[in-house]
Amino acid sequence: MSKSLLIISRQAPWSGPGARETLDIVLAGGAYDLPIGLLFLDDGVFQLFAEQAPKALQQKDLTANLQALPLFGIEALYCCAHSLGERGLGQTPLALPAELLDTSALQALLARYDQVITL
Amino acid sequence: MTTLHLLSHSPYGNDRLTSCLRLFGAEDGLLLSGDAVYALQPASAARKALASLPSGAGLYALAEDLQARNIQADDAVTAVDYSTFVALTLRYDKVNSWL
Amino acid sequence: MKFAIALFAAPHQPAARRALRFAQAALADGHEIVRLFFYQDGVHSASSSVVSSQDELDLTAEWRTFVKAHNLDGVVCIAAALRRGVLDTDEATRYGRTAASIEAPWVLSGLGQLHEAVQEADRLICFGGP
Repeated sequence: MSKSLLIISRQAPWSGPGARETLDIVLAGGAYDLPIGLLFLDDGVFQLFAEQAPKALQQKDLTANLQALPLFGIEALYCCAHSLGERGLGQTPLALPAELLDTSALQALLARYDQVITL
Repeated sequence: MTTLHLLSHSPYGNDRLTSCLRLFGAEDGLLLSGDAVYALQPASAARKALASLPSGAGLYALAEDLQARNIQADDAVTAVDYSTFVALTLRYDKVNSWL
Repeated sequence: MKFAIALFAAPHQPAARRALRFAQAALADGHEIVRLFFYQDGVHSASSSVVSSQDELDLTAEWRTFVKAHNLDGVVCIAAALRRGVLDTDEATRYGRTAASIEAPWVLSGLGQLHEAVQEADRLICFGGP
């Protein structure tokens, strides 16, 4: 049986290649049909903010890639509720159907994956 | 499953330590390296934050980083060399590096 | 035990040295390294273009020597490397660039190699940042 891998994405979307390169690990894992989970944490939750306009910065739209995740078989999507609330996004509709996790749920999530990469 | 968390950023000016403590499981371990060992300066705000680690948590620091920075860690901290670092990664089920 | 080691830091960052010392200790203690995977700024740690002054640690040379000496599988992510101007001769030719800085024992390949290593190893250990 394949080992499960949790990717924790902590980078804001337009601060450099970090968020995209983290997402590329997730998509590559999906292409190999591996059990991958993706957790948005800290500034990573800004990736889920709806209707961003990266064209203003001449950047490719990361949100389009995020929305492709289910097509790659990545359906285990999570978001830290505390990180959202802290950033004023607690009541905002998200660009992805990510499950909101409180502290104890975050601990349980980390505990159940075989390996983890935090970027 | 247990996790050994690795921190190498300074505890000040970023979210890593706070978020690490939020995800930290009851039997997890924390290994500080690089500027993260500044968290072990006695009486510092970061050392006080580390006091909230669960009682079952292991607290480790890379010896060379303590030595280089002249940090005198208290008795709750185990200083490790690279060989012990390798062994620690096997004592826990996985390793979470806060890059 | 089997380790997969991923490096995300450039050679001037302390994490690049820490990763090397960890890898050396793992082998010295009788463990196996199934693959080294250099990603993000870690691609610079495989570059043969880095020049260190004589009184400084030459970390890219140390990595190269280490990988050669133990015949390790040293993979550099091709997409991350191209983005950072770190090419081998094939890629330099393909894109009409004059400089290549990835050579044996390092090879450019894709992210699938990281996932494969994770599956094969008992532990994935990532190094990055300061």
